[in-house]
Parts: sequence; structure tokens; C-alpha cells
Amino acid sequence: MRTLRNLGLTLLYLFLLAPIIVVFIVSFDTRQYLAFPPASFSFGSYAKVFANEAFLSAFGRSVVIGLVVGLVAVSIGMLLSMALVRYRFRGREGLNFLVLAPFLVPSIVLAVGLMLVLSPVGLLDTYAGITLAHLGITIPYTVRTITMSLMAVDRRVEEAARVHGASAFTAFRRVTLPLVRPGLIAGGVIAFLISFDEAVISLFIVSVRTSTLPTEIYRYLEYSTDPQIAALSVVLILISIAVVVLVERLIGLRRAI
Amino acid sequence: MTDSHVIVEHLVKTYPGASAPSVDDVGFSLPRGEMLALLGPSGCGKTTMLRMIAGLVAPSSGSIRLNGREISQIPVHKRNMGMVFQAYALFPHLSVAENIAFGLEMRGVAKAERVEKVKRALDLVKLTGLGDRRITQLSGGQQQRCAIARSLVIEPELLLLDEPLSNLDAKLRDEMRDEIREIQNRTGVTAIFVTHDQDEALSMADRLAVMSAGKLEQIGSPREIFDRPQTDFVASFIGAGNFLTGQTTGRGEAQVEGVGAVRFVGEAAHGSRVRLLVRPHRLALVEAGSGGVNRFAGRVENVVYRGQLMSITVAAQGVRLQADIPTHAGALPERGQQVTLSVAPEDVTLVGAEASPPMDPAI
Amino acid sequence: MSTPTLSSTPPKRRHRGLLLVLLAPGLLALLATFILPMAWLFRASFSDSVMAAFGGGWTLTHYLAAVTDPFYWRVALNTLTLGVAVSFFAVLLGYPIALFLARTQSRWRGVLTALAVAPLLTSAVVRTYGWMVILGDRGVVNGSLQALSLIDTPLRLSNNSFGATVALVEILMPYAILAMLAGFGRLSTQLEEAAAMLGANRLRVFWRIILPLSLPGILTGALLVFVMAISSFVTPRLMGGGRVFVLGTEVFNEATVTLNWPLAAALSIVLLVLFSSVIVIYQRALRRLEE
Repeated sequence: MRTLRNLGLTLLYLFLLAPIIVVFIVSFDTRQYLAFPPASFSFGSYAKVFANEAFLSAFGRSVVIGLVVGLVAVSIGMLLSMALVRYRFRGREGLNFLVLAPFLVPSIVLAVGLMLVLSPVGLLDTYAGITLAHLGITIPYTVRTITMSLMAVDRRVEEAARVHGASAFTAFRRVTLPLVRPGLIAGGVIAFLISFDEAVISLFIVSVRTSTLPTEIYRYLEYSTDPQIAALSVVLILISIAVVVLVERLIGLRRAI
Repeated sequence: MTDSHVIVEHLVKTYPGASAPSVDDVGFSLPRGEMLALLGPSGCGKTTMLRMIAGLVAPSSGSIRLNGREISQIPVHKRNMGMVFQAYALFPHLSVAENIAFGLEMRGVAKAERVEKVKRALDLVKLTGLGDRRITQLSGGQQQRCAIARSLVIEPELLLLDEPLSNLDAKLRDEMRDEIREIQNRTGVTAIFVTHDQDEALSMADRLAVMSAGKLEQIGSPREIFDRPQTDFVASFIGAGNFLTGQTTGRGEAQVEGVGAVRFVGEAAHGSRVRLLVRPHRLALVEAGSGGVNRFAGRVENVVYRGQLMSITVAAQGVRLQADIPTHAGALPERGQQVTLSVAPEDVTLVGAEASPPMDPAI
Repeated sequence: MSTPTLSSTPPKRRHRGLLLVLLAPGLLALLATFILPMAWLFRASFSDSVMAAFGGGWTLTHYLAAVTDPFYWRVALNTLTLGVAVSFFAVLLGYPIALFLARTQSRWRGVLTALAVAPLLTSAVVRTYGWMVILGDRGVVNGSLQALSLIDTPLRLSNNSFGATVALVEILMPYAILAMLAGFGRLSTQLEEAAAMLGANRLRVFWRIILPLSLPGILTGALLVFVMAISSFVTPRLMGGGRVFVLGTEVFNEATVTLNWPLAAALSIVLLVLFSSVIVIYQRALRRLEE
């Protein structure tokens, strides 16, 4: 009974992790076409990835876009969260809804809308355009994480700082900001990862000049499935894991999210 | 003992990875129709005991017999016991009536009979007419009643209750205490309940089993447990008490340092170290200088007025005694006053004796 | 009597200014990245000029095309079928894992939970590629079967809706598991024990207690997977090899290949309506379930 259950669970986990496992195995193959099992074991595909100009420059663009998006999304998220958590104003409820509304729209629908708006102002296939598009889908996440950490901050701690002589700004900088830092970091990391992995909206916005890594992979896959993509995928998976582990080490992911 | 309904023998439970057993060689028997309280501090093994009887935890060794039949190998759903869980464990997706009918349904009882029995169970616990309510629409006390009805409607061999009153506020607790007792009397079901609250145990149970660190310390009627505790643990766990330490000098007499001879009830070898228990309410104020045994003269150190009673602390020749004096007993002592307390020998209980070597006065 | 605190002082004039500073960047960003795009999308779907989707007169042509053209009926049907199939299997396969994770007291629980959602760390494109490797003509399945001489010609496992469904099930399963875990709040071992005490064997405990109590979680998981599946296009397109036509792939096609932006906009609105109605129906159902 128990072994049967464990066997079933193992199979389900195997299904869940199958593509990652397979990608990992295939990445050590070097044939020009996709085939299984691998005929050889080498790092040839990895070497090819690191020699591929298109991938390397797309990777660079993705990192830069991801960093900018993460930074801006956290800054805007922090300001919005402050307003939403600390102030009572007319339209606050409406804003609360509006901020989270992008969650309620499929990204492909938003993608068409963004394309329609960015096109006439000449922002299609520009850094500004793709950054703006990614901001749209990441700000809801940063607002959510930062709002939650802000709400967890006991206002009396800040008041204690004020009573002991700190100005409003000093109290915020020395007391509140350090307390919400895990939320800020988590929001930034999430925004970076979303931007870095995002394919749907990017495919509508970018073409050759500012193609990000996921769109580059997508375009590549439309014509070819050689093991280079596997090697690249493994590199991307390792980067994602590294980021998460780093964050976990720094602040504890569970506390952050 | 042929009329014993439940017989537990040498029951042991050691959880995997634990250094000490949670239940360590416990045995007792319970006559049909009686209510047993398993009492002890948290972690004493009382809940594990209950769960082993229920079949929710498999014993490491030992036997549990119900009606003379060994049940420790019978799976939980075939034991035919009712259980009232601490947080009631009512099924939130079912109505009150559906909750109560659940056990009948599992037993394949026909619908018409089910409806009839549920109705009677609702009447029994005074929830008449509330069968269609959702669980969330019930108050805490009503949920408790529903849980009791659910476990009684299946006419269980044994009713188990896990801290049945701990989730209720003080007022409801007293009410439900009487109510559970009454329902148990009326149905005549044999019951075992777990509690850490001595008042609850003393007032509800026919029989009380006090546990500590996995072991059964003492089992007996509430009166026996309260008035004649056999171990130090039972004496100090149940009720307040004054403990006197002395050396026996004769049959039923001990020399207590600073106090003198104290007469007590109980058997202890001559010359052994004994611990004696005197309940505060057994101490009485007497005229100073009046003759008799077990007199303690001293100065009142503290008085606490508590309505019907007054607790006074008396420093009497090297011991400090706590006494509960009825407030209607004329003039009440004041702090600093010299008083004399007395206690009858039959109210001095021997709780521990060890045939230790004679004390070296040099130490 | 309230204690006077700094936080309860009424906002003064300078607070208004500060509030404006706090709100302005966010409002601008929301305007540019959400409100305007959605408004443009709506307007464009009624535009009668095909290339310049922004000006022009108003027309219902694109909706009429979407409604009258049997091709789009098939696309809508495909989309719904894909959504239903994917959410059914993602929940069916994810449920045992979620249930296990919710109930286990194993010290591996944390690791196993992380493992169940770890695939979310990798882009859907990458995992789709993994499924191309597994289900391709010379992939893991066909390669193994041929090596064992069980088949002569490769089975058609990819470049069709089967492949797209399998890949989407796996890609969306972690979401289903997370949603179910979040929705299993009413499950408790004590309720299972209570049912067992009342005479229910393990099977009946499952059917009468565990399954009904986990139904809200199952529904949430199914909804989440369904709405993500009907709006997906990367996986259906890559796994379908251009032979799977769903709303997502058609929107992408009209927007980037045919360049009929008003039609792309109209199809997007259709998708959005489908999406929203499913969410509304779901909320009704959940409310009824929990009342």
C-alpha cells in the first residue's frame, strides 16, 4: 500500500521533472539534430552556445533589461505601496484593484494591447518599449510583495523613532526601510526572473534589434532543435537556481514571499 | 474482575526516535458504565493512552481488552468507539444532522432509521431542531454537543473524550461538565476522558488515573486520589498541600523537625524518612495552649481573603503552613497575630517513605 | 478614548503633496502599460482600417468575421477543448502530489514541495523544448520504443494537439499544485481520524471527507490551469508544429504574420471575454460550495 503510493508519487514527480532531466541529458550531445539517447558525451554544445554571437548578445540584453525592470519595478512598487498602505484617499480601493488587474488579463491579450500602443510612438523593438512592457507585468508583483512587508511593519516602531527625536524622513530611512528590505529584494528578484523568462509579450514587442534570450530561443526552436538549445537551457536553469539560492541565503525566500 | 469492561495491561508506546517511552507499562481496568479520567500534566502520555485505546496509535506492546476481547490489533474503524475530539473535528462540509448520521451511514443503517436516531441524538444533547444548521452556524457549546451526539448515536462500546472542555469559556465549561456527566449517566456508556484540569477530573470522573512521565501514578476514586494520594507526584499535582518531612518514631507517628511529633495515617517502617501531606482546608484554628496532638503554633505571615475562605500563611517553628479558614468562623486572624493550627491524624497522609539510613547530624 | 499617536494625526496639506509624489510614477506606469493598451485594444477591435489600427471609423467586421467564419469556430472549440483537457489532467496528476504534500509529516516535505514547484523557475520555452525532445519522432519515447523493437515507425506524439496537451499539462501542473495546496486549508488529520473512529475505512475517508474538503482547492487549481491554457500560445505553437490552431496562436499569427491588427484585437477581446466569464462562473461555484 505504502510502496504503491510511493511508486505512484515517484512517477508523477518524474513526469513533472521529465523535460528538465531530458534537457540536461541531451545537452551533452553534439549532433545537429534532436535524437535520444545521446550518441556521445561532450561539452561541445556548451562550447557552441558560448560561441554563439546571437545568444550571447541576447543574453546580455536580457540581463540588462531584467536589471532595469527589477530596479524600476521595485522603486515604483515601493512608492505605490507606501501610498496604498499608509494613506487613506479617495479612489484608494479603485487603485488597489487597478494595480492587481493585470493579473486578471491573459498576457497574450495585454501583449496585443501593448503592441498597438507602442507601435505608433515608434517604441516597438526598442529597449524603452520592452522595458515598459515588462514593467507592466512586474509592477503588480512588486506592489504585492512590498505591500505585504509594509503591512507587517509595526507602525509603533516608527513612532518610537519619532518620539526619540528622528525626523519623519530619518525614521523612514533608518527604521521602516530596513524592515521592508526583504520585501524589496524579493520583489526585485521576482521582477527580474519574470522579465528574464518572459517570452509571450516580448515576442509581440521585439524583433531583431532588441530580442531577448527567450524570444531568441523561441525563434531558434521554430527552425531547429539541435542540442545547443539544451545546453543553453541548462545554463538558464542554473542561473535561475543560483538567483533563488542566493536570495534564500541572503534573506530566506519563504520570509520574502 | 469479570465485570471489567476495559482492561489495559502492560501498555507501552515508544515513538520511533524517542529516547523514552511516552507510555510506560500502564495497566488498569474499568467497570462497565463508569467514567474514567486520565489526568496529568501535558506530555505525561495521557493523550497517547487515549489514542492507543481508540486505535489511532499502535501500541509498542501490551494488551487492550474490551468486553474480554483483545482489540489492539483491530483497525480503528472497526472498534466501534465514539470519540469527542479536543477541537470537536466536526466535518465542515456536512450539516449538523449529516455529521451525526455519518457513523450510522458507515454502518449501513437504513435512511429512515438514521433520521429517527439522529433526531433522538439531537434531543439527547438539546440540539432539537438544529439538524439543518451548518457547523459554522453553531456556537462553541453547540458544536461540543454535536460532537457528543455524533459519537453517541452509534451506540459505542466505549466513549472517548480528548480534553472535552478545553475549548470552552469558563461559564460554558461548568455547564457542559454537568451535562456530559448527565448524558453519560443516562446512556450508561463506559467513558474515558483525558484532561489536565484536576477540577474537571475530580468532578466528572468515577475513577481517576493520574499519569506522570508515561507512568500510571495512582488510580482510584476522586476521594481516594485527593485524600489519600500514594505518591509525592499525585499529592503535589492534585490540590494544594503542606508537606512535612520527618522521621518515624513509632506506628503512625513521626518526628518533624521544629514541630515535634506528628500523628498520621499510613504504614511506614520505623526510622524511615517520610513525607506527610496536610491539605490546607483540613487545618483549623484552635485556642492557644489547648491540649491534643498535631498542634502548630506560629505567627500569621500573610492573609488573603477569598470570599468563602481565607488563606493564611503561618510560620510555625521552622515550617510554613498554608491554611484555608472558613470566613464564617467568627473572628478572623490578622497579619502578625499568634495562632495555633491543628489537624486530625486521619487528615495527615503519608505520601512517601524511604527506609533511608539515619541522618548524620553532622551534615 | 483613543491614545493620540502620530499615525492618527489627520493628513495635512503637505501630506497631499507627498501622496501625489508617491502615486505619480505608479499611475503613469499603469496608464502606459495597462490602461492605454487595454483601451487601444478595445478601440482597435472596432477599427475599419486594417493597417493603421488606431484611427478610422467604427466597424463590427472583425467580430462578425470571428463569429461567422467556421474556421474561428473551430479555433474557439480547439481552445476550449485544450483548456478542458489540460486542466483536467493537470489537476488529476497534480492532486496526488498536492494531497501528499499537504498531509505528510515527512521531514522531506520542504524539499519535495520545492521540487514540485521548481519547474516554475525555468521558462516555459525551455520546458517546451524538453517535451520536443521527449515526444519528437526521434525523441525519448520513440527512441526507446524503437530500440526495444516495439515499433517500426515512430508514433506521432508531437506536432499535433496530443503533444501540445501533454506539454501544457506538465508546464501548468506546478501552478495547479500550488493552487490546490493553498485551497486545502480545511483538510486536517483530525477530521480523518474522526471519520475513522465513526467507522469509515480509508476509501470512505477519502470519498466522504478528503475529497469534498479539497474540492475548493481542486476547483481553484483547475481554474488557474484552464485560464492559463486557453491563453497560451508558445507551447501550442512549438509543440503543435503549426498544426494546432487555438486562440493564442491565431492572435499571434494575425498580429505578427498577417498583420491584421484589428482582427488580432478582436480575437484578443473574445479571449478576454472567455477568460473573464470562466472566472466569474468559478467564483459563483466556489461561493455556493463554501456557503
